[in-house]
Amino acid sequence: MSLFPKVGRNQPGLRVTWTLVVAVLCIGIFLHLIPFYFMIVTSLKTAPEIMRIPPTLLPENPTLAAWQLVFQVSAGSTILRQPLYQYFLNSCIMAFGTLALSLPITSFAAYANSKLQRGRGARWTFLFFIGTLMVPAAVTLIPTFLLTRNFPFPVPTVPNIPGTETPFPVIRTWNTAWAVIIPGVFSAFNFLLFKGFFDTIPNSIIQAARVDGGSEFNIFRRIVLPMSIPVFAVAAYLQFSGVWDSFMWPLLVIQDSTRSPMSVAIYNLINVFMSTGTMRPQASLATNEQIRQLQEAGLSWNGLVVLGILQTIPIFIMFIVSRNYLLKGVKIRGLK
Amino acid sequence: MVRVELKHITRKYQATSESSEEDAKRPALDDVSMTIEDGSIVSIVGPSGCGKSTLLKTIAGLEYADSGQILYNNVDVTRIEPGQRGVGMVFQDYALYPTMKGKGNLHYYFEVHQRTEAEMEQRTREIAQIMGVGFEVLIGQKTDTLSGGEQQRVAIGRCIVRDPYVFLMDEPISNLDAKLRERTRIEIKKMLRKFKVTTVYVTHDQQEAIFMGDRIAVMRKGKVEQYGTFDDLYFTPANLFVATFIGTPPMSVIPAVVANGRLMIDQAGWTLPDEIAAALNGQSHLRFGMRAEGWEVDAPDGIPMEVRYIDRIPTEQAAFAHGTLGGISVTVIIPIDHPEVTTMRVTPRWDQTYFFDATTETALRTPGVPDLF
Repeated sequence: MSLFPKVGRNQPGLRVTWTLVVAVLCIGIFLHLIPFYFMIVTSLKTAPEIMRIPPTLLPENPTLAAWQLVFQVSAGSTILRQPLYQYFLNSCIMAFGTLALSLPITSFAAYANSKLQRGRGARWTFLFFIGTLMVPAAVTLIPTFLLTRNFPFPVPTVPNIPGTETPFPVIRTWNTAWAVIIPGVFSAFNFLLFKGFFDTIPNSIIQAARVDGGSEFNIFRRIVLPMSIPVFAVAAYLQFSGVWDSFMWPLLVIQDSTRSPMSVAIYNLINVFMSTGTMRPQASLATNEQIRQLQEAGLSWNGLVVLGILQTIPIFIMFIVSRNYLLKGVKIRGLK
Repeated sequence: MVRVELKHITRKYQATSESSEEDAKRPALDDVSMTIEDGSIVSIVGPSGCGKSTLLKTIAGLEYADSGQILYNNVDVTRIEPGQRGVGMVFQDYALYPTMKGKGNLHYYFEVHQRTEAEMEQRTREIAQIMGVGFEVLIGQKTDTLSGGEQQRVAIGRCIVRDPYVFLMDEPISNLDAKLRERTRIEIKKMLRKFKVTTVYVTHDQQEAIFMGDRIAVMRKGKVEQYGTFDDLYFTPANLFVATFIGTPPMSVIPAVVANGRLMIDQAGWTLPDEIAAALNGQSHLRFGMRAEGWEVDAPDGIPMEVRYIDRIPTEQAAFAHGTLGGISVTVIIPIDHPEVTTMRVTPRWDQTYFFDATTETALRTPGVPDLF
């Protein structure tokens, strides 16, 4: 592994620095691993043990009860309105839907900006796209929300066509997976990533392909794309984890809780646990009964932690898949 | 086989913030006209930024001319895409497709032109035979494992596999090391002779241009200064730029004054022969150009030149005396056994003198191409 390079390690001056760097990195790794360790350990504890202060470092009676219970609850109950896999599926649709649209669109845009545009036009297009990175998400939140209601009008009520009583036709994506997918289709950060890589591809390669008679799309597909697989992997990873982890936006645009992604479903579940006292009598009776059963069976935070682990697994898998490319960084080929 | 004609090609780049004020104003190609005869090799040479690469790309179709016409065998191809022109191009950095093997590089042309598999294999085999020993092995390898010279061979193979009408080379060997460059240059020349393909060869190295080209075009600031054979350029340069650009060591250009039938450099001078005086149109302030071989040393009417050092070249059986005349560096060829001196008397051989106008820099008098055969 080249994480800690061997070069110069025997230099006495560098030795101290090297040791310090490794020490700091180790502390960093340790700090990052603590939450994961705590999640896994907690999921194996019994309910009373979780609440104990100070917390135990290792479960006294390791049990898989929480895992079993979660899968029982997820099969359908009054607490979760749908089986858990449905939410998982919702998340997958949103994440992969975004990827399927975003990667081609963003990479085409970056390629066009890098290789097909020239001079001032290219510069301004680039600045425009990058400028979108500078607008804080909080500023665009409400306009984007309104756009999902009545595209293309960022207003709560659709104006009428002048002189008539009929409103303008609008596209409504609110409360569907599209409301999550479409705003994520163009990712300015990935644009920057792609553009940075395409800029390093020598123009002469593209020109050689043009002389060979390839169409611009064929050149992209046959020559540029195979060179850029590492960048695509990195961009896909970033985009996927971004969408998978997004919470606020799906919570805002998806009202129908059967359509919400995992992140929102888990949050709802936590809410149910914490607000059992503030419900209407009948509803709370039924829910309370369920929760009482669950708690008797030993479920409390350990179940939620299990859900948390399930939520992390896909990102972890994506990381493993693109790990080589992420660690290597972007290996620039074609420059030799 | 194709005759390429360029008619009044002008190309102006969109100014970017990076380009300097002067570059932004002048076009990359400024009214360029030339004819490249069927099967001949033309070298385009000039300092960097003179537009020689742009000219090549315009012939290939990678750049479009703002105005003017490009004709292949009298067919207007000005607006035709590069893929349809049937040209082959070799780039300075080889521009091989890095994710394909050498073979894939050769095959891409057939792939996008929807040719048959059989034709593709057939042509590849033919090319491998032409390109000689080891080419089959080269094209079986990933291109990034090849050395510079090997990559260039594959790139040339990729270029000729399509049987191009016009062969365009953009400084193909300037990335190779000196020894390999020499060898590749001879190989390319031999190959071009064999194929008799119309070739345009761009280089910044005048030696290479002289070696490769049947004819040479010297470019400066987007204009073709002169287009002709080496002898034309060497013995009848159109202006001072061409005269100093062609020839090693470069021509010495000395500001001179003609007064009372004498050519004066500072205080000293020579008597000017009548036929040369007549060619100068009575102009008094001139640029007087001399090549190293044009001087006669130790003649009685010579004027003294301060010698800085003498560079003896045993293989050439000659020596270069580097000195100063009228404040200008001057190089003179002397016999190798010439004694070490601090000043030497030099006289021009008048039939080998060049005179240029001091302001317009156009040639007033040149030796003319010698009739050797």
